[in-house]
Amino acid sequence: MLELIDIHTFYGPVEALRGVTFEVRQGEVVCLIGNNGAGKSTALMTISGIMRPAAGDIFFEGISIKGVSPHRILRMGISQVPEGRRIFPKLTVRENLEMGAYSGRGNAASLLEKVYTLFPVLKERHKQAGGTLSGGEQQMLAIGRALMSSPKLLLLDEPSLGLAPIVTSKIFRTIREINREGVTVLLVEQNARAALKLSERGYVLENGSVSLHGRGEDLLNNELVRKAYLGE
Amino acid sequence: MAGEGLQFPTGKKIFVTARPFIIALWLSFLFLPFKGIRASLIFFFCSSIILFSFRYVSGFKKMFSGMTQSIRIKTRSSAFFSGRFPVVFRYSAAVFLLAFPLISRDYFIDIAVLAGIYIILALGLNVVVGFTGLLNLGFVAFYAIGAYAYALLNTRFGLDFWTALPFSVGLTVIAGFLLAIPALRLRGDYLAIVTLGFGEIVRLILNNWDSLTRGPNGISGIAPPEIMAVSLGKLSHYYYLVLVFVFLTVITTKRVYSSRIGRAWVSIREDEIASSAMGINTTVYKLYAFAFGAFWAGLAGAVFAGKMQFVSPESFTFMESVLILCMVILGGLGSIAGVVIGSLILVLLPEVLREVQLYRMLALGAGLVLLMVFRPQGLFGGKGVFIRN
Repeated sequence: MLELIDIHTFYGPVEALRGVTFEVRQGEVVCLIGNNGAGKSTALMTISGIMRPAAGDIFFEGISIKGVSPHRILRMGISQVPEGRRIFPKLTVRENLEMGAYSGRGNAASLLEKVYTLFPVLKERHKQAGGTLSGGEQQMLAIGRALMSSPKLLLLDEPSLGLAPIVTSKIFRTIREINREGVTVLLVEQNARAALKLSERGYVLENGSVSLHGRGEDLLNNELVRKAYLGE
Repeated sequence: MAGEGLQFPTGKKIFVTARPFIIALWLSFLFLPFKGIRASLIFFFCSSIILFSFRYVSGFKKMFSGMTQSIRIKTRSSAFFSGRFPVVFRYSAAVFLLAFPLISRDYFIDIAVLAGIYIILALGLNVVVGFTGLLNLGFVAFYAIGAYAYALLNTRFGLDFWTALPFSVGLTVIAGFLLAIPALRLRGDYLAIVTLGFGEIVRLILNNWDSLTRGPNGISGIAPPEIMAVSLGKLSHYYYLVLVFVFLTVITTKRVYSSRIGRAWVSIREDEIASSAMGINTTVYKLYAFAFGAFWAGLAGAVFAGKMQFVSPESFTFMESVLILCMVILGGLGSIAGVVIGSLILVLLPEVLREVQLYRMLALGAGLVLLMVFRPQGLFGGKGVFIRN
């Protein structure tokens, strides 16, 4: 479904991605793990078009989306939950969700109902300003907002950032649920254990390229991963 | 956050108590170079007593808060056209606006026309700065282009106002696009500097391209607009023309603001990365904002040239950009009613303060500083543009 081939992305003179190659298949949950600065978020931003790769190619459903602008990529069905949630703090929960439907993919009213059933707490607080929600609720809002464009592929950037373990596991359960409804998920996480448990397959990024990949369980049992990312 | 009226966000009590004294100290400090230490001290005592007593005059505060509240409701529901504002008030305001030239002296009509032109300008700038959050310090350049375009088309080619208007506005919009191209790559401070540079470039071109613009001498003999062969050279006629344009500006910016485009602008202001993740084409909408703002500046420029029947680079200095920006910020970024009131205040205040000629700019400056300290969102700005309780 999504395929990155030898992607190189730069921040000015700094090469953040040095030839990243991986793929996500229809219906999967795939995670990217790695240390700070390994290029996980850059990879997501390159896919969603916010960053432009200098070399390499990205295919989504067989079509090259390299260098395509972010709003077109979103219309093709890739929706991103940006790192740090980035909800609109002054808008109400409902307005935030409505902004998510800006691209006009799918029927906003029925999507809103769907998001509300997925996250009942958002329905309860639909009139509250986004900035007054708790961290976990804001993350739910950010995910809900991304779902409002009815994506085929959902990119999640650090959904567990700054959340209590109990909230994190709740969010992860919801991601599973979203996946079961047919949305393919690409997940970037610092919390490697939880991410690998959730994912069918995982890729380990190191210094801007993929150093290891395999099934989630295999990576969980991998000596190297256990040492470097699971702290054992 | 900072939106709690006249309260300090941290709610530190000592500051609240000391506030009148801080204000008085600040004002008297400004007086120091003019009147010496003794007068400043006297001024400090008097003003702190006056300001302090405000707190204990019962009802004053209530009146004040009631006033801002009703205005806030007005801002929110765009009350002037919808039903919430008292009908009697609406009609009497309309009658007053229409009858104004019949009942007042030329001097006041002149000021009203000027205020109208500034309202159009400030509303245009509000689209760029208030809605989209792009700081533009060279807005006067568009005003100048609009004015000169009409001046040149009229004096060189003999086009009348209505024929020339689309061209001069169109030219300004093109200039808006041109500025947007480099500006779109920049953010924050850098954007501000580029726009500032643009404003200066336009002024310098007008000043130095003698063969076309006649340089610092300016262009004179511009014909005022005509309607059905009746020249609008008379001030009161011009007043109605400007009034129509002001209403056109208010209604159009309001409509566009509550459209899909307006939503995109506000969302870019709030968070650009999130907006592009929402599928908003940020480049295109920023371009629109620049061009749409420039449109009104071009209109205001042509109206200005028609009124003065004379243009020169002197009218388009950097200070003018700052003044327009002050109007937007004073009234409240992003609030249409606020911007209108802000421009009225900044046009009328220097006239009212004409008695104290020497100090009027001082008072204006001090007032702006105090406003920014105690009410950073502007007089009538709400918490944001999406005001909900």
